[in-house]
Amino acid sequence: MPLIRAEHLVKEYRRPRQHSGRFFGVRTLFTRESVVTRAVEDISIFNEGEVVGYLGPNGAGKSTTIKMLAGILVPTNGSCEVAGIVPWENRSANAMNIGVVFGQRSQLWWDLPLDESLHLIGKMYRMEPERFRRQREMLVDLLDMQPFLQTPVRQLSLGQRMSGDLAAAVLYEPPVLFLDEPTVGLDVIAKERMRSFVEQINRDNRTTVLLTTHDLDDVERLCKRIIIIDEGRVLFDGRAADLKRRYAPHRLLDVVVAGDATERLETVANTLPHGAQSVSLDGMKATFEIDPEIIRVADVIADVSSRVPVIDLGVRESPLEGIIREIYEAREVTR
Amino acid sequence: MSLTHTLSICWSLIRASIRGQMQYRASFLMEVAAGLAYQSMGFVFIWAVLSRFQSLGGWSLREIALLYGMRLAAHGLYMLCFSNVVRIDDFVREGGYDRFLVRPIPPLLQLMFSSIRVTVVGDVLGGIVILMAALTQVDIAWSAANVALLVLALIGGALINGAFQIGPAALTFRFLESWTLRIIFDDIFSRFGSCPTSILDRPIRSVLTFIVPMAFMAYLPAAAPLGRETYLPVWTGWLSPLVGVIVFGLALWLFVRASRGYQSSGH
Repeated sequence: MPLIRAEHLVKEYRRPRQHSGRFFGVRTLFTRESVVTRAVEDISIFNEGEVVGYLGPNGAGKSTTIKMLAGILVPTNGSCEVAGIVPWENRSANAMNIGVVFGQRSQLWWDLPLDESLHLIGKMYRMEPERFRRQREMLVDLLDMQPFLQTPVRQLSLGQRMSGDLAAAVLYEPPVLFLDEPTVGLDVIAKERMRSFVEQINRDNRTTVLLTTHDLDDVERLCKRIIIIDEGRVLFDGRAADLKRRYAPHRLLDVVVAGDATERLETVANTLPHGAQSVSLDGMKATFEIDPEIIRVADVIADVSSRVPVIDLGVRESPLEGIIREIYEAREVTR
Repeated sequence: MSLTHTLSICWSLIRASIRGQMQYRASFLMEVAAGLAYQSMGFVFIWAVLSRFQSLGGWSLREIALLYGMRLAAHGLYMLCFSNVVRIDDFVREGGYDRFLVRPIPPLLQLMFSSIRVTVVGDVLGGIVILMAALTQVDIAWSAANVALLVLALIGGALINGAFQIGPAALTFRFLESWTLRIIFDDIFSRFGSCPTSILDRPIRSVLTFIVPMAFMAYLPAAAPLGRETYLPVWTGWLSPLVGVIVFGLALWLFVRASRGYQSSGH
């Protein structure tokens, strides 16, 4: 059963055109022109239990789509349904079905201990005391929240606060979870906790997750399906694996060797294993292009470092990042 | 969503926000004191003027004190529920209103009770004290009808006050700001609310009776038990709650309609 359905969803933001130059303030005040920003989404069917990565450059309209699906914004045009409900027409009913986390903004009560926020939310969603107790215990355990459960939210670290926000969003076990940049600004450990939590929720409750992020590690780890949008157009919609295959990205391996090994480096560059080739060679430095479909980067590194004394090396770009950058850049050209 | 459930959630929100405020004890006490001082200042001004001129439009200081007490108590009642509406500009401009829209409770209720301003305690206390003091000074019989009239007037006054905050607040969804307009109405009520509307010129009087029904907050309901003639029939004093419900309903309708234009922040 499709859980989220969106058709020709359009949101236009109007704002008066800003003038510059002399008397710009007054001219802006009396202007009739306006600039329309379109943030759009067209046809997407999400199935129960899917984790979908929703990507696009800054300002592509990702958050706007989420806000329309969450019932926060009323679209200018088009329609959508979340679990059979039109979000902005029946906000309360929609709220029962969804959990929302905005990485940029907490939804907890700022001056209250985290635990009280959870209690208030449990009450709002009419949770039975027994069910609330069970869920709260499970979440406190899963997100390691015991140490800061009684701390006022404003005194929490960003990582702790995000754990709290996530707990607040899934407390009442909504079938749909919207995560808008949930890992932004988090350290490695907090990110990892976040990811494994989402993984588990999705596995145990068959929660459908729509995730926007700029962190492609989130996507690689969690999402089987990826949608890339920009200015309302869907640039890609499909499985992450297909995306990689389609754009066949290569990884770049930068190698720096000791000063007395430049000749040997040249030899290595000419006799790289199958799947790797040299793209630049400049004295002590060389860059090799590796096709991860054929050979693992680690194998190339092992091969190279067994033959020359490597001082420094680096692998550039995870495959997805490269692809997505390619897609964004292609868009810049075609526009 | 049943009414009892909604009310019980509102109560939880109120309790939570009071608990939140209590964390800052010094600031709490200071705000209460400031609220009391601010509201008493208005009364001191009237007292100063009246001790010089004896009466205003034929109303004595004691009677004016009654009007003042009624207006302030109604204002306090209104503030108990709606004090947090003043923060709507910030919530809307910065996108904080988002969080009210993704919870299964009407957003306005969440806004109202997301925190309680403690200065309210000053308004309520000031209103009750002045009202009670004035009631012992004026010549009013403590009949059931008069008590009912007074209580109804307070409720009506609170609703009228609320309507002229919620209504302008609706404009925030479109213009991102409405505080200037809200301050204007607040100012009208606190400056003119406790003077007999009859002393004003006819056009202004009509506006403050039929368009911004300020006269129904204290003047008209108080006139009957005091045995005073007004420019309207005596029974109009009983209309306060009805007028309140009408203007408040209109304001609510406007608010709900305008909130569809909410744009959040970022995109």
